[in-house]
Amino acid sequence: MSISSIKVFNKISDFKVTIIKTGIFVSLAAYWGIILVGTFITFS
Amino acid sequence: MDVFLPIAQVFVNPIEILLLSAIVGVLSGLFGVGGGFLMTPFLIFLGVPPAYAVANEANNILATSVSGSTTHYLKNTLDYKMGLMIVIGGTIGTALGIYTFTYFKGIGKIDTVISLAYMYILAIIGTLMLVESLGEIDRAKRNLIVKKKLHVHYWIHGLPLRMRFPKSKLYESIFTPIIIGLFVGFIAAIMGIGGAFILVPAMIYIIKMPTKLVPGTSLFVTIFVSVIVTFLHSFNFGSIDLMLVVMLVIGSIIGVQIGQKLGEKIDSSGLKALLAILLLLVGIAIAYETFFAEQAEKEIIQVLTSDLNFFSIFILEFSEDMPFFYGLFSIMFAILLGVGAALIRKFFSSLRKKYALKAK
Repeated sequence: MSISSIKVFNKISDFKVTIIKTGIFVSLAAYWGIILVGTFITFS
Repeated sequence: MDVFLPIAQVFVNPIEILLLSAIVGVLSGLFGVGGGFLMTPFLIFLGVPPAYAVANEANNILATSVSGSTTHYLKNTLDYKMGLMIVIGGTIGTALGIYTFTYFKGIGKIDTVISLAYMYILAIIGTLMLVESLGEIDRAKRNLIVKKKLHVHYWIHGLPLRMRFPKSKLYESIFTPIIIGLFVGFIAAIMGIGGAFILVPAMIYIIKMPTKLVPGTSLFVTIFVSVIVTFLHSFNFGSIDLMLVVMLVIGSIIGVQIGQKLGEKIDSSGLKALLAILLLLVGIAIAYETFFAEQAEKEIIQVLTSDLNFFSIFILEFSEDMPFFYGLFSIMFAILLGVGAALIRKFFSSLRKKYALKAK
C-alpha cells in the first residue's frame, strides 16, 4: 500500500470518527435542550 | 394474568415485574449501579403510581443491599467506621428528603417532581458515563496513557474534626463522609434509590478509600438508608405494598446473583457505553411521558374488599391497623430474604470448591 493511500484511508477513518462524535454531541444537546425547555414550560 | 396490588390499587402483571426486576438485578450485579434508578421508572411505566414505586423500590433495594453486604462481610471487605459516619449523614438527609417529599405530596406535585428528578439524574449519569466510556475506548485505540495527579485536594479535605479510619488507612474529617451521606439520604428518600451512583465515586475520588472496600461499604450504608426510607414511607404514607415487594425482591435477588457471577467472568468496561445509552433512553421515555404524552384520565377501577384474596385483605388490614409493625415487617422480610440469598450463594460456592478439589 502506498503512503498516499494509507493517508487517504486514515483521513476517511478520522472523518467517520468525527461524524460519530458530532452525532453523539448533537443528540445529547437535543436531549438536554428538550428536558430544560420542558421543565421551564411545566413550571411557568 | 394480572394481580391487584392492594396498597398501590393497580393491576400489574407479575411475570413482567419478576422479569424486569431480574434483568435490572443482572445489570446491577454486573455494574454495581443502576438498580434503583432503572427499576423505579420501569415500575412507573408499568402503571404503578410514582409515589408507590419509590417506596417499594426502596424496600427492594434493602433486600439486595443486605444480600450484597453479607457477601462482603463474609469476605471482610467492609469499613464499618466509615460506613457509620456516612450513615449519620444519611439519616439526616433521609429525614430532610421525607420532609421535602411530604411537602410536594401535600401540594399535589410529587409525581411531577419524581419524574423530573429521574429525568435529570438519568440524563446526568447517562451523559457522564457515555462520555467517559467513549473516551476510554478512544484512548485505548490510540494507546494513550493519561497522567493524573496522585492526590487532588478539594475544600472538603480541609474540614476540621479529623478521625482515623484504620481499615481504610485514612485520617480525615468526619464531615466529609457525613456531608456525602446527607446528599445520598436526601436523594434516596425522594427517588427510592440506593445512592450507590453517588456513594461509589464519592468514596473513591473524594474520601479516597481503597477500591476493594468501596462496594461493601457502599452496600452497608445503603442498608441503613433504605431501612429509614422504607420505614418513613410506610409510616407516613402507607405506601409499601408487600405483594409488589415480594415480586421485586425475588426477581432482583436472583438477577443480582447472576449479574455478580457474570461480572467475575466478563469484562464489563465495553458494556458501560451500552448501559449509558440505556439510561439515556429511559430518561427520554420519562421526558416523553412527562411533557408530551396526553395525560389520559386513568380509569379508576373499584375493587371491593370482598373481591380481594386472603393475602391482599391481610396486607390491607395490617397496613391500616398497625402501620408501625407493617413497616417493621416489610423491613425484616427484605433483610431475611437478603441474608438468605447470600448464605445460599456461599453454600453453593463452597460446594463447588469442594467438588473442584475432589475432581483434582
